[in-house]
Amino acid sequence: MDISERTVGVGAGAAQTGDAVSAKDMATEDMVLNIGPQHPSTHGVLRLRLRLDGEQIVSAEPIVGYMHRGAEKLFEVRDYRQIVVLANRHDWLSAFANELGVVLAVERMLGMEVPERATWARTLLAELNRVLNHLMFLGSYPLEMGAITPIFYAFTEREYLQAVMEEVSGGRMHYMFNRVGGLKEELPAGWTGRARATVAEVRHGMVRVEEIIHGNEIFRARTRGVGVLTREQILQYGVSGPIARASGVDFDLRRDEPYLAYGELGDVLRVVTRTEGDCHARFSCLLDQVAVSLNLADACLDRLEALPPGPINQRLPKVLKAPEGHVYQWTENPLGLNGYFLVSRGEKTPWRMKLRSASFNNVQVLKELLPGNLVADMIAILGSMFFVVGDIDK
Amino acid sequence: MSNHEAVKRVPGAGLAKGLAVTFRTLLRRSVTAQYPEVKPALPARSRGAIALLEENCTSCMLCARECPDWCIYIDSHKETLPAPEGGRERARNVLDRFAIDFSLCMYCGICIEVCPFDALFWTPEFEYAEYDIRDLLHEKDRLREWMWTVPPPPENDPSGAVPKEITTAERTAGPLTPGAGGDRDGGSEGGAGE
Amino acid sequence: MGVNGGPVDLPDPRVGALSRVAPKPVRYVLNWGRRYSLWVFNFGLACCAIEFISTSMSRHDFIRFGVIPFAPGPRQADLMVVSGTVSDKMAPAVRRLYEQMPDPKYVISFGACSNSGGPYWDSYCVTNGVDQIVPVDVYVPGCPPRPEALLHGIVRLQEKIAGESLGERYAPVPPAAALASPLRPAPERP
Repeated sequence: MDISERTVGVGAGAAQTGDAVSAKDMATEDMVLNIGPQHPSTHGVLRLRLRLDGEQIVSAEPIVGYMHRGAEKLFEVRDYRQIVVLANRHDWLSAFANELGVVLAVERMLGMEVPERATWARTLLAELNRVLNHLMFLGSYPLEMGAITPIFYAFTEREYLQAVMEEVSGGRMHYMFNRVGGLKEELPAGWTGRARATVAEVRHGMVRVEEIIHGNEIFRARTRGVGVLTREQILQYGVSGPIARASGVDFDLRRDEPYLAYGELGDVLRVVTRTEGDCHARFSCLLDQVAVSLNLADACLDRLEALPPGPINQRLPKVLKAPEGHVYQWTENPLGLNGYFLVSRGEKTPWRMKLRSASFNNVQVLKELLPGNLVADMIAILGSMFFVVGDIDK
Repeated sequence: MSNHEAVKRVPGAGLAKGLAVTFRTLLRRSVTAQYPEVKPALPARSRGAIALLEENCTSCMLCARECPDWCIYIDSHKETLPAPEGGRERARNVLDRFAIDFSLCMYCGICIEVCPFDALFWTPEFEYAEYDIRDLLHEKDRLREWMWTVPPPPENDPSGAVPKEITTAERTAGPLTPGAGGDRDGGSEGGAGE
Repeated sequence: MGVNGGPVDLPDPRVGALSRVAPKPVRYVLNWGRRYSLWVFNFGLACCAIEFISTSMSRHDFIRFGVIPFAPGPRQADLMVVSGTVSDKMAPAVRRLYEQMPDPKYVISFGACSNSGGPYWDSYCVTNGVDQIVPVDVYVPGCPPRPEALLHGIVRLQEKIAGESLGERYAPVPPAAALASPLRPAPERP
């Protein structure tokens, strides 16, 4: 048998003893530690290869691909309605936002006008979906840090919202409610009222989520000043979404390049930013964004009820073909910028559809962020990067 | 940053606040649904399983073709009906097999959407976990059984457009209910058809 | 390692040898104990994992069924719930973690992806069903299945445990190749 003796991980202290003899005796070899692919803190199957000197991370390498499902290839043999089904599954926490990007790209390709009611309803559902996504992370992040209770509260609120989404679309997670040219079907009677009650309910529930964890001393001690991302790193790696805004990058497509009805929601839409760039800032960014999204949802409901009667989708031709050409459409997904590059050769399936998913870029920065931190802080940093593994690997 | 910094914090105040939340929640009613004893009240649009109204199916294969992962299997054969008196004989499709593989189905509802003859419906039923994966392939008799659980569709939001089923019906048969189509833009269409 | 440095072949730990000869009431009690203390190990891979978490939360709360989601790892778990797409890159890890679980062990395949590859069955990098690599006890259909569907699957599994005999379950160890579910019969052509 091949046995070799190794001394690993004596600790960072060995390097600082200064004494030549003991430094040689205690010479340490870095230990390679694999986190994942199945590890609770990676919520999913991300794998991190860490080189450790004692408890300190020397280098980190995110290894992606454990959830690669080849969705982009599958898009090429599916028509534009079938694509929507697959598109909402890569980032499973923000299914509605993903469907939306695809149909917006196709609509832009076709030069199609969407009925006003559909635009407002889409905005509303996109914001509710954003709340659902953020609630997941607001719950799971404290869980990873050892605080179990907040996730129960977050999921209680999620259930209320999922019931509303299920009533309108029939699905709890994968709504499959967007179609090219509008939404799949009309909203059920009385749904807007129930949605409004739920938004109020969730807003009330958010107080609980905030009070139980946001000011908690242990939580603050573990997150403040940990994993500070600088503005330069953000720009170099193309990090986006709440993570970028927590480091003071004031960029939000909803405001800066409005799509859907966001252009008319300027007075309600507040872009939440922080300057610290640490884990706590990222968490509180998320927390504040929920409040903003709930306000936006209320504003959308107001508008939706005030709109004149009208259709919620366009009549489509039997065979929908996008004209030859290409288009790039990006949207502000809950986790960051999602881009959809659609190349069509005039057939009913796209020739190529490239996804630019937010999590992929957000995770790459871990390579710079983790070295120098302790393993215990790695959990705090990893959890605060808010990624969905399917969104990384597609 | 936020106003959390400005105020000098009492040590442990955050912890105490969190515990207070826990205590208040302790006094609230539990949200747990008692599932096996109490069945969940599911909305009519809920996508649980697909029901087949076999009588309506003309085996046109549209659903099987449009399914994003092609999990519908249809077999049919043509049958010639004997000519009625004074007529000529007609051919019609007879459905031999209609099966949906629920182990593959992604519950998108495209088949139901494309069905031109209203033969497929959603039912919110979800209790069909199996020990053997082959049992998840529901043949047409089992799909027909789901039909009994299909709920009526919910009424649409009054500010929406009149569904095309109603406008088509009104065009052929006149206003369905007095006043229902009159005050909407779709109503004039129905009136024009008379 | 053995005395002379080489590995020693220990006999495989066997389950069920005693329960085969145990009288029926004892077997009943044993099964009863096992069905209501299923420590679950969540193999959360994709969308379905979120619904699994939903099921473990206050609204659905599968601890009511004796399913305990606090297993520190596969070595302490009785039940593995595979929720999500098993990609070819992930498949060896699934198999390895399954092998780490102590007998008697059960697997619930949760959702279309782990049942048969689901939406991604024609992808170049997706395993068409977790039953190709580990034996599955209960298949829960859905994409993703609603939490109640998982609860239903758990109830079905508990029924199965109540009626089974461990001796029979563990009599022969099937080779991995034999685990793949047989192909569906071709539709009969008229």
